[in-house]
Amino acid sequence: MDTLLAALFTGTSRGAIYALVAMGLVLVWRGAGIVNFAQMGQAMFSTYIASSLIMNGYSYWLAFFVAIAAGALLGVFLDLAVMRPLSNKKQTELLSSASMRAAVPVIASLGILGVLQALAGVFWAAEERGFQAPFAQEGYTIAGRVMPFTSFDLFVMSVVTFTLILTVLFFKKTGVGLAMRASALDQEVAKLSGIRTNGVRALSWAISGAASSLAGLLLTPTSNLSPYTLDLALIIGFTAAVVGGLDSLPGSVIGGFILGFVISFVNYYLTPEDIYLAILAVLVFVLVVRPRGILGGKDTRRV
Amino acid sequence: MLEVRDLTTSYGSVVALNSVSLTVVESKITTVIGANGAGKSTLLRTISGLEKPASGSVTWNGESLLGKRPEEIVRMGIAHVPEGHAVISALTVEENISMGALFRRRTHKNDIAQATEELYTLFPRLLERRKQLAGTLSGGERQMLAISRALVSRPSLLLLDEPSLGLAPLVVEQIIDSINVLSQKTGLTVLLVEQNANTALSVADYGVLLSLGKVAAYLPADELKADASLRAAYLGY
Repeated sequence: MDTLLAALFTGTSRGAIYALVAMGLVLVWRGAGIVNFAQMGQAMFSTYIASSLIMNGYSYWLAFFVAIAAGALLGVFLDLAVMRPLSNKKQTELLSSASMRAAVPVIASLGILGVLQALAGVFWAAEERGFQAPFAQEGYTIAGRVMPFTSFDLFVMSVVTFTLILTVLFFKKTGVGLAMRASALDQEVAKLSGIRTNGVRALSWAISGAASSLAGLLLTPTSNLSPYTLDLALIIGFTAAVVGGLDSLPGSVIGGFILGFVISFVNYYLTPEDIYLAILAVLVFVLVVRPRGILGGKDTRRV
Repeated sequence: MLEVRDLTTSYGSVVALNSVSLTVVESKITTVIGANGAGKSTLLRTISGLEKPASGSVTWNGESLLGKRPEEIVRMGIAHVPEGHAVISALTVEENISMGALFRRRTHKNDIAQATEELYTLFPRLLERRKQLAGTLSGGERQMLAISRALVSRPSLLLLDEPSLGLAPLVVEQIIDSINVLSQKTGLTVLLVEQNANTALSVADYGVLLSLGKVAAYLPADELKADASLRAAYLGY
């Protein structure tokens, strides 16, 4: 019984974070047509910024919000400085096919990941360091028994729930949200409606950067912080995004929770070593049974 | 007034527009007719900034449009309804319409609400279906929606590309009539591209006959319609 509860709570809390990671990937995929493999590198970078602020005596909450803002800024910077020039037709006309041109920014994102990890090693040394949680990570004690969920888990779930509600309202209720959905669905019609699609694209990178930085801040207290700690989160988040359909935001959230539960149950009932196998199994299962993902549109499997 | 001078646009080595010159007179309907591949759509796409011309000029009330992005040209009051009922299927009818006026939502909030009302009066079918996804509409309704998306920002010039494509004659007539009424009532300037020459010429004030990227004739619409030799040579009837 305790194991079941523990698996459920960990699954929910982890799933919430993977949902954020997947959402970040889906935002950039929809907004810019790029699978951004650098995403958790960006998150790692902003978590290091938060860590440095805290070590220099600033409060956790200041560091928390500075890191999220830094994540957004880094996202915009990557779009303007790297991705936009690379997507320029003139620069890539030497490449023969459209699919090769589409691959250029994706490969560039892998390069960015490497650069960010190397830079983090230079700035902050490559050894692991702890990253604090804003709330206790010991289980609650009810009637003399230690329960398998912690204040930090509750914090994670409420922050992610709040973020997801905010995101839904933003996309459904605001003009900028409508502009973003329109640009993601049809660039030409969006432009002809007077929507500045370049600005919208930069905004996708900003929101994605902020969401993944939040994920980084929520993930690192339970592991440690090193330039490579968040690599696994990218793999899980990407799988979650593909499971959800890659072009669907609600799908990415569902995918995130599915992965959270699968990993948590494997961890508690089998062994932690089987987690990678389980992730692969989920991915293969979805690709075989429903290749376009749970909520994906028809032509998403171009990747 | 829209002035097009010596406009040449190519796709790779294929010249789609070859030194085209024409004037679109304010508050009038000008129609561009011609066979498939005559360069009609390319003309509209070059005006609205979707294609970059090789040479020539396009000026709108004295200001050059060349080098401007499509989204900036729309903001100057030139709305383009591209070929093929261009709506976003995964958005609702309401969202498709409000999308067209997003760029002036802070400055013209009340006017947008009124423009939307007027469009729903013009196309009552859209009002009935305003919560539906655009992808569930019929071809005619989609065309009405695409036109509404363009008109909701109250443009001064409407570039309308083949509204009749794939539609039943009755629906075509209804759409063309609505445009005609709107132009007469509000003074909207229209540049209408059509393959269906008769329908287009019957509502237009001026007609431009394009053939293989060149202007073969630029005449008042009734004269162009009456000219049997031009019709026989270029339109084949």
